[in-house]
Amino acid sequence: MTPRIGCRDLAVRAGGRTILSVDALDVGAGETLAVLGANGAGKSTLVRALALLTSRERGTVLLDGRPAIRAAVRSAVAAVLQRPILRRGTVAANAASGLVMRGLRRAEALRRAEPWLHRLGAADLADRDARGLSGGETQRVALARALAVGPRVLILDEPFAALDATTRTDLIADLQVVLADLGTATILVTHDRDEAAALADRTALLVDGSLRQIGATSTVLDQPADADCARLVGFTNVLPPELTGLRGTVVARPEHCTPVPPGDSPPPDTFVTRGRVDRTVPLGGVTRIDVSTDAGSLACLVTGEAPDGITPGATVAVAVAAERSRTVHDAADLVAPARP
Amino acid sequence: MDVLGEGIADALRLLVTGDSGTCQITLLTLRVSATATLVALAAGLPLGALVALRRFPGRRIALAAANTGMGMPPVVMGLFVTVLLWRSGPLGAFGLLYTPTAMIIAQAAIATPVVTALVAAALQQVDPDFGTQMAALGATRLRAFGALLVEARLPLLAAGMAGFGAVVSEVGAAMMVGGNIEGQTRVLTTAAVLATSRGEFALAIAFGMVLLGLAFAVNLGLTLAAQRRSTQPRAAR
Repeated sequence: MTPRIGCRDLAVRAGGRTILSVDALDVGAGETLAVLGANGAGKSTLVRALALLTSRERGTVLLDGRPAIRAAVRSAVAAVLQRPILRRGTVAANAASGLVMRGLRRAEALRRAEPWLHRLGAADLADRDARGLSGGETQRVALARALAVGPRVLILDEPFAALDATTRTDLIADLQVVLADLGTATILVTHDRDEAAALADRTALLVDGSLRQIGATSTVLDQPADADCARLVGFTNVLPPELTGLRGTVVARPEHCTPVPPGDSPPPDTFVTRGRVDRTVPLGGVTRIDVSTDAGSLACLVTGEAPDGITPGATVAVAVAAERSRTVHDAADLVAPARP
Repeated sequence: MDVLGEGIADALRLLVTGDSGTCQITLLTLRVSATATLVALAAGLPLGALVALRRFPGRRIALAAANTGMGMPPVVMGLFVTVLLWRSGPLGAFGLLYTPTAMIIAQAAIATPVVTALVAAALQQVDPDFGTQMAALGATRLRAFGALLVEARLPLLAAGMAGFGAVVSEVGAAMMVGGNIEGQTRVLTTAAVLATSRGEFALAIAFGMVLLGLAFAVNLGLTLAAQRRSTQPRAAR
């Protein structure tokens, strides 16, 4: 099947350097692709380039498999930018404004936009002044406005970034239901792997303007291709071979690394590295323990308080759960559980 | 104090009885200043938008020039326009000096930097991604620009009012390029100056009051129109 939107050899230049370079990317109808990356990785630049909202250094944007022209992209794409910008006026007028921008008469646009306010749980806000909305309400209206135009390609640039946890969860749930019913090709920009896991069929990892890994979301989130990808998806502890004695670099999530008090034996099915406790930080229900090793700092997350004997300055062993860690290689996506 | 009190009383008498000379001067003032403001808007709106929204070499210098122009003494602008329109000047062949058209040219030149600088400021107040967001919803450039103007309508209106205020109240340029010719180029400000110099304080005060009333009426009308639209949606929280 022909992908709905994509690009080939796409590059964007800014400030005298190339900030984005993507060989190929395709998103099909009915599919949601998450673009996951750290701040400044080029996520917003990528989606703006795909929507022809920014100029390209080189490359082709494809719409339905053909090089895209501006008018066709304008008609196919609707985007919710990182900072939702609503216009002066009522919520209803804002929800309709995408349709008005496309030339519909105001009355018709209001009529068509109304169901989308309902679907996104913002119908009771319809008569309110858009300038008085909370962050979550504003984002709901911005989403309704984009969905109301019936886009064939929907671009969501960190739509949940500024929301509190509860509002974010509610909105993700509502959006999940909405997207499931649409045949839209959706690109979700995020730096949060939970959002990708909740909404995206596939996930692409963007590091320093390049796509490092792309695949099924469950695979990408569980089997990072290299150390940069690993950090992006939560395997923030990177243990080089000289630290573990293993072949290849091992990556592990903090919750799978446990400091072992002096005199205790490490749990089974773990491998051990040694270090010195830098600090213990209670985080409410869990405690983060930072341990310095010869190859850098390791973060450990333990349930409850720090175990006895784990105090700043103490020399400890850190047990890394073998089955939950991954071995990454520099170039290929050769991934396997680490073996002690 | 007596002079002021009697002057105001005489002025009110003149206004109530509908002095034909005053009416004629008022109408000419309105025509000249309104036309000059419209010309300034026609020039200042695109110029202000250009400076606010586009990046080009010399942009900051252009903005600084517009800001400087806001403080340009009308008499200096009157001098430039007089030299331009003088019989032996570059535009002398048109024979415009001492006509209402010359006054419109001078006043438009005074108001254009004011409008340009305030339009630029008005448009820069809107989120810089506003146009991109409208385009991201499918707007053409023209529609996105129209939406931007609507979004910034209150400060844009202020730019127009400031332009009108700058020209309706100035006297130097009107005097220099118009010549204060009775029945032809005499406007409220030049008439007030002349009346004062003749010691006809009641007449001068009457002109001053009409001028104030005129400026207030125009600005009140525009303000009410803008505020009515901007407060239509009511928060129902």
